[in-house]
Amino acid sequence: MRYLIRRVLNAMLLLAAISAFSFALLQWAPGDFFDAMRLNPRVSSQTVEGLRSKYGMNQTLPVRYGHWAFSVLKGDMGFSFSYNSPVGPLLWARARNTLLLTSIATLLAWLLAIPLGIWSAANKGRWGDRACGFSTSALLTIPDLLVFLVLLLLAVRTGWFPTGGMISTGFDNFTFWSKCKDVAVHFALPAVGLTVVTLPVLVRHIRSAMVEALESPFIRAARGHGIPRTRLLFRYALPAASNPLISLLGFSVATMLSASVIVEVIMSWPGLGPLMVQAILSRDVYVVVGVVMLSSVFLVAGNLLADVLLFVSDPRIRVE
Amino acid sequence: MKNRHKLWGALVLLAGLHGLVLFAGFFAPYGSAAQERELPFAPPTRIHFVDARGKFHVRPFVYGLKDDARIPGAFAADSTQVYPVHFFVQGSSYKIAGMFPSRLHFFGVSAPGRIFLLGSDGYGREQFTRFLYGGQISLAAGLIAAALSVLLGVIVGALAGFYGGWIDEVLMRGGELFLALPWLYLLFAVRAALPLHVAEWQVFLLLIAVIGLVGWARPARLIRGVVLSAKERNFVVAARAFGASDAYLLRRHVLPQTYGVILTQVALLVPQYVLAEVTLTFLGLGVGEPMPSWGSLLASLQQYYVLSSYWWMFLPAALLIPVFLAYYMAADALQERLKTVPL
Amino acid sequence: MSGLRKEPLVCIRGLSKQYVQRRPLTSAKFTIRAVENVELTIQRGGTLALVGESGAGKSTVVRCLSLIERPTAGEIWFDGVNVLKLRAKELLPLRRQIQIIFQDPTSALNPGMTAGEIIAEPLVIQGEGTKSERRHRALELMEQTGLPAKWESKLPLEFSGGQRQRLAIARALALEPKLLILDEALSSLDLANQEMILRMLAELQAMHSLTYVHVSHDLRMVSDLADEVAVMYEGRVVEQKRTAELFAHPEHPYTQDLLDAMPSLESICEERSA
Repeated sequence: MRYLIRRVLNAMLLLAAISAFSFALLQWAPGDFFDAMRLNPRVSSQTVEGLRSKYGMNQTLPVRYGHWAFSVLKGDMGFSFSYNSPVGPLLWARARNTLLLTSIATLLAWLLAIPLGIWSAANKGRWGDRACGFSTSALLTIPDLLVFLVLLLLAVRTGWFPTGGMISTGFDNFTFWSKCKDVAVHFALPAVGLTVVTLPVLVRHIRSAMVEALESPFIRAARGHGIPRTRLLFRYALPAASNPLISLLGFSVATMLSASVIVEVIMSWPGLGPLMVQAILSRDVYVVVGVVMLSSVFLVAGNLLADVLLFVSDPRIRVE
Repeated sequence: MKNRHKLWGALVLLAGLHGLVLFAGFFAPYGSAAQERELPFAPPTRIHFVDARGKFHVRPFVYGLKDDARIPGAFAADSTQVYPVHFFVQGSSYKIAGMFPSRLHFFGVSAPGRIFLLGSDGYGREQFTRFLYGGQISLAAGLIAAALSVLLGVIVGALAGFYGGWIDEVLMRGGELFLALPWLYLLFAVRAALPLHVAEWQVFLLLIAVIGLVGWARPARLIRGVVLSAKERNFVVAARAFGASDAYLLRRHVLPQTYGVILTQVALLVPQYVLAEVTLTFLGLGVGEPMPSWGSLLASLQQYYVLSSYWWMFLPAALLIPVFLAYYMAADALQERLKTVPL
Repeated sequence: MSGLRKEPLVCIRGLSKQYVQRRPLTSAKFTIRAVENVELTIQRGGTLALVGESGAGKSTVVRCLSLIERPTAGEIWFDGVNVLKLRAKELLPLRRQIQIIFQDPTSALNPGMTAGEIIAEPLVIQGEGTKSERRHRALELMEQTGLPAKWESKLPLEFSGGQRQRLAIARALALEPKLLILDEALSSLDLANQEMILRMLAELQAMHSLTYVHVSHDLRMVSDLADEVAVMYEGRVVEQKRTAELFAHPEHPYTQDLLDAMPSLESICEERSA
């Protein structure tokens, strides 16, 4: 139990450090949102300066961080200049969409990767394993960008899938089931893309974890005792391999989040990715910090979840 | 034996690709800034060996372009205009290694014929030419950034592993911070911190610095592991007993153990970083026009009409595949070798 | 080889070494007392055997003696000098005089260096001689340890276990040490190799007036080659005597146990004392 508490404290400390780090990083950036305004000859520099001080942009860094931290606790998370609203509400809607997409893709990827990895490891060296290894290597060499662009092309050319967005027009009038179907048809291609992109690495890792478990002495002893293959695979080897696999879960969350940025922009899925790109282009500082923080929260939460699962499943950790 | 073939195959492929890109001026039929406003979105020129009358020619040739009667705005081949392909022709001038002027091109056709090997974009710029010149930017960005990341990783990892104690704690905690952010978000955040509108070369250098600085944590961790185990080896202890200084031990005994890991890391990071640069530029956050990064070549695909009508604009993305393949093959082969080297 | 009436080469008084470790994931610390209050004397030109079971602290003592580790308490007098009171700069010349050979010769040699480079390395570290002088010395040492000179550019993996140990010994002799410590150096070798190397060591001792410390748990081998034996048990030296006397009249109960554990030893001892 103390182990878990330590992990949670560690996570919170990490998040605080990240917030300070990203905040400082972005505040050091030369130029800010109001620079664009200054280019407009009809806006006087006094107005710009007035706006600056109104939003507290001319205060010192620690002061601004303090204000911002306070506003995080309130739920506002700073103020967005482009959208003229607190950042918090903006983020939640987008975050929900990103989470929806990445959770589905993660589920899909793992549902495919686990059987493939196990089967590949069980048939190590035979043609099935080699074919699997070959395909994963081949998939790895295809850049993410290409995959998503091809999927978009598919949507544009065939019209089977919508070419972007999350909902169709008239969404509000749909029945519940139609709404579900509508969203599903919209996230189909992005989810498939994300899955394709993250699948090879997962399969490889799962395979190697299973191979290591299968080649360990205690499994060989069990085999010598005549335990049938399937039971051996699932009741003996898989639990032994679960430790590295659960750690892999934490890692796959990171790659999934990163990849989701690209797919969201290309397929116009209204998640955190496009929000962030827009914010960078318009130097909407608090939005950028907010998105970075939120994505770290997801990552750290994912790793924490993995830690909890490890704690529950691996008795060695509980003993310490 | 098979591994040796893999390594050599990868190295040959890499040498070929990099050679093509390095001597872009020579291998490209046109200059880096050449535009043909008259011929936007022309399809790739087909190379023929057999002419309309069925006669085989040793020297390949291309047809001229005329407006396609069926599709307004598109181009079709005009078999009445025949332009043979010549090799080692004189064309637009360029500088080898930025210093030696030359006008020699590997292949080309005489005007007004055009050889659009990979088609042309909205400004009539030949895509193969742009691909080669773009490679100079994207590959260089990937290589330099990877070198930067690994260099930082070696310094941090060696210090942390060798000296241990609080140095180790602090450095590894710092690394944890960098690893706790999803990579692309961190990259974007750091990019956001930089000025948006700067001179071309500055953007390029800044981009490399950003990509390289963001990714030091993983190599650092790996190097630290190697250093930790290396410094306990008895030959290091023996050398210490002879009175060797820390610097000597690091230089002579510890760091040489890391060379394998360093090479493998570089081979794995380069494709990742090339993709990072391409992605950033694609989204408008990287180098700007008219620098022909591979990302800007693909940027026009964000428009639906380009995406669906002009399939050849995908080709630069497809050509990324051999680049990735070569680097991943090299990394795989290196990792195999590492396992067999007696430690 | 014994009976030199000079001062002992090494005097160890009250040597203690503790290791403090933290239990993983908690902040509790616990100390391991590896060595406690060790007293040891080593005579010039002689051979001392340090025996005891695994974990008795033998390796810790010699690691402190060879200046690889620093003890938590105690004094080490080498050739009249209080070693632990020296500053880093003064330690450097002292390091030449004490050398240690490890049990596993493979790990003690950098697999990427040639034999010649390995032997010459101490000279390089201490900044001695020109490149050709060092090479000359390396070849000389190879000859003394029974390695053919033409193997100079071979890598350690091309040598057998016994030859690698010879290589390690040649390297240790490069700086002309007074004291050579062999930490279970022969344990990993087969008997034939052990014999050869022991013979070579005896010759070298005569040639260079070396003093040896053998750490071992093989009493049979010890009875052959040592002038004095020091027995260690649970971090302390419980007995130090001349070999024959120790075998004939062991005082400490642990020594008795050790001797009892070697049934064939009695017959050997009886032969010797007869």
